[in-house]
Amino acid sequence: MQNDSLSRTGLTRRGLGGLAAGLAASTMLAPAAGLAQGASSANLAMVGEPQSLDPMASTADLVGTIMQHVYEPLFTFDANWATQPMLAASLPAISADGKTYGIELRKGVKLHNGRDLDAEDVVASLKRWLEMTPRGKGLAKSVASLTAKGPSSVEIVLNKVEPALLAHLALPSGFAAIMAKESIANPLTEFVGTGPYKFRERKPDQFVVLVRHDGYASRSEPTSGYAGKREAKIDELRFIPVPNANTRLEGVIAGQYQFSDQLPVESFKKLSASSAAKAVLTMPFGFPYFPTNTKQGPMADLKVRQAFQMALDLEEVLMAGFGEPKFFALAPAHFPKGSPFFSEAGKDKYSRADVAGAKKLLAEAKYDGTPIRILNSKQYDFHHRMALVMAEQMKAAGFKVQLDVVDWATLIQRRGDPALWDVYITHSAFLPEPMLSPPQLGDGAPGWWSTPAKEAALTAFNAEPDPVKRGALWGKVQQVIFDEVPYIRAGNFAALSGASAKMKDFTAMPWPSFWNVDLDK
Amino acid sequence: MLAHLGRRFAGLLLVLFIVAAMVFFLTRLAPGDPAALMLGDQATAEDIAKLRIAYGLDKPLLVQFVLWLKEVASGNLGQSIFLQRPVTQALLERAEPTFFLAMFSLAIAAAIGVPAGIASAVWRGRPLDQVVSGLAMLAANIPSFWLGLIFIQFFAVKLGWFPVAGYGSPDAGFAERLQHLLLPSAVLGLVNSALITRFTRASMLDILSADFLRTARAKGLSERRVLLEHAFRNVLVPVITVLGLTLALLIGGAIVTETVFGLPGIGNLVVSAVLRRDYPVIQGALLAVAGIYVLVNLAIDLIYTLVDPRVRY
Repeated sequence: MQNDSLSRTGLTRRGLGGLAAGLAASTMLAPAAGLAQGASSANLAMVGEPQSLDPMASTADLVGTIMQHVYEPLFTFDANWATQPMLAASLPAISADGKTYGIELRKGVKLHNGRDLDAEDVVASLKRWLEMTPRGKGLAKSVASLTAKGPSSVEIVLNKVEPALLAHLALPSGFAAIMAKESIANPLTEFVGTGPYKFRERKPDQFVVLVRHDGYASRSEPTSGYAGKREAKIDELRFIPVPNANTRLEGVIAGQYQFSDQLPVESFKKLSASSAAKAVLTMPFGFPYFPTNTKQGPMADLKVRQAFQMALDLEEVLMAGFGEPKFFALAPAHFPKGSPFFSEAGKDKYSRADVAGAKKLLAEAKYDGTPIRILNSKQYDFHHRMALVMAEQMKAAGFKVQLDVVDWATLIQRRGDPALWDVYITHSAFLPEPMLSPPQLGDGAPGWWSTPAKEAALTAFNAEPDPVKRGALWGKVQQVIFDEVPYIRAGNFAALSGASAKMKDFTAMPWPSFWNVDLDK
Repeated sequence: MLAHLGRRFAGLLLVLFIVAAMVFFLTRLAPGDPAALMLGDQATAEDIAKLRIAYGLDKPLLVQFVLWLKEVASGNLGQSIFLQRPVTQALLERAEPTFFLAMFSLAIAAAIGVPAGIASAVWRGRPLDQVVSGLAMLAANIPSFWLGLIFIQFFAVKLGWFPVAGYGSPDAGFAERLQHLLLPSAVLGLVNSALITRFTRASMLDILSADFLRTARAKGLSERRVLLEHAFRNVLVPVITVLGLTLALLIGGAIVTETVFGLPGIGNLVVSAVLRRDYPVIQGALLAVAGIYVLVNLAIDLIYTLVDPRVRY
């Protein structure tokens, strides 16, 4: 009643009076009414507005985070980052030459429009993914055919071995989402998937609302990472863009948000001290890395790049970026122990902090004192803080350094021009398969790393379908990275999020998911 | 009067054209490519080029400017690259929080500033004047983001009286949405009350020394009548001016407060659009704000004629 009368109120003096009275009444009678959420809905404060709700139109993590609740992939990752089936009934049958993948679909999976998922949906979705997404396009050159073999079988035939295929299909970023074929359009206007939640409404810069998919057919295996059983325990998920980190922090402490993503590390103490909220650490969440310009400028000289690597004390750099040791880890190995790609190759060149050695290399390179331009942005605070310390360490080793601080949009543009930078600061999410990140392992990425040693190591790695042998071959790639310094991978870092103390069973993963999560009443 | 209005409208169009040109070329001077940002880190050069063509960003700047002006002249502010919807629609969706935030803030600022300014002038040099002047000085120099965070901390987190941020849940009614505006309005109202207080005080001091007030007192009018009927009426013109300008500034300039409180208003939209390099939104929003600014100025001039019979056009 009150709402109706207020919404009809015009801007007359009397109207304003009524408005004020209504406001006062609503504030005083039910001060927390607008904030209180039952167990049936969760307000999830995210870092910004998703670029799109089409998971294939953008590789932004936020898009994947939200839309992985609506769409599901054929395969996904478990808690150990091993690939597991999701919409596929099991892992695929791969032919002996590693080029034919037979994929059986799980039976009884319902799309959000009530129809059963079939192989035609999968083929149509994957074709779109191969045409639209950067990773899909890269793979498309290797795909000879993609066909439905009956209502619940799909066959992918490759013209060359692609050992990373399943990891590509499992990744929530640039997502190989399976959607109802009749909903496929460019741009997507309907979001019809198979996930535990379905799309209800989006108001740009205000919210994206997903509601429980009652017909969801879950897997029966125990939950592990993104794999296994999924259950929508909360009726409604509201993803709310809250770009201001302080607001996200205060909101979760005040109980307005049940989850606040990506908080500054300084908030850890405050979150830990709060009885209403708790700190959630995701480790490893990602890795900061510093690509070098191998094409032009002083860094084009291998010895200068090696001097740069030798000069750095990465513990200090990471400490500057993340403040406390619990938020980062030194990691010469690009993959953790337990991963098939764990290797210690090249670790003797990692974080040497060897000023004399760096000076010697610079002298050998006849470095003429041309300033090294470190392109960095304050949009990610830790980037800039790392750049400041890195610059001091480089100066101590005899480099001249120029910090080019720009906004992120400018950095993205400038890094495409080899004349404009020598080193830039960025980071990547931790990804379980080497070929997924950083892009410098592929062709044409900023830095333009292209050498015979890279070519040889990566060609051998990418031609090997056997996962065990691939592990050993990755060690050789890692060695070349340490030898040629196309980028310096600083280590691993954790992400800090805040969750309501009432939130149960949340699993910290790089793309946070809210199936299987419940809220205490 | 009509001739005056005609001249003002012509001037308004000229101002808008200059604003349009400045906004258009200044946004293009900033580096950063909306297509690259939109498509993400892994986008190929080919995809970026396609999106640039789709939004006409591949055309020469002058051509883009002329095409945009033509669209604007026909009432179309273009299509947002990021939001994938018409700029006009995006602006209208964001207008409500900004409008009400501005109105409430102005009401609070006026409710504090006008009486405080008058009282301060009437008791000039007394302790009250010193306190009011000191507080006004303080309010004028408090950064709104800082005050916003303090208010959030105290009233929203500690006392739980207000929501921390946002503009209500997805199915929020009008009352819930307005509840989200109270705290940011208080912040903006307090900060803006400083200018109104000082302006009102100065105008009142001018009037208080005027001859006609001495005459009124000499006629034996009570001090109350002298102040309320004679002095205050004459203070109205400058006060309306400052209120109008404050309103216009609030509509265009509540950016920081909207960002801190997560209000999906026009200020917030402009900040996001700048970070996203969403040119059509930046251009459309700034043009609209400039238009409002000029129209508010015009409205102030017209209101003068109502409150002061001496003003004629």
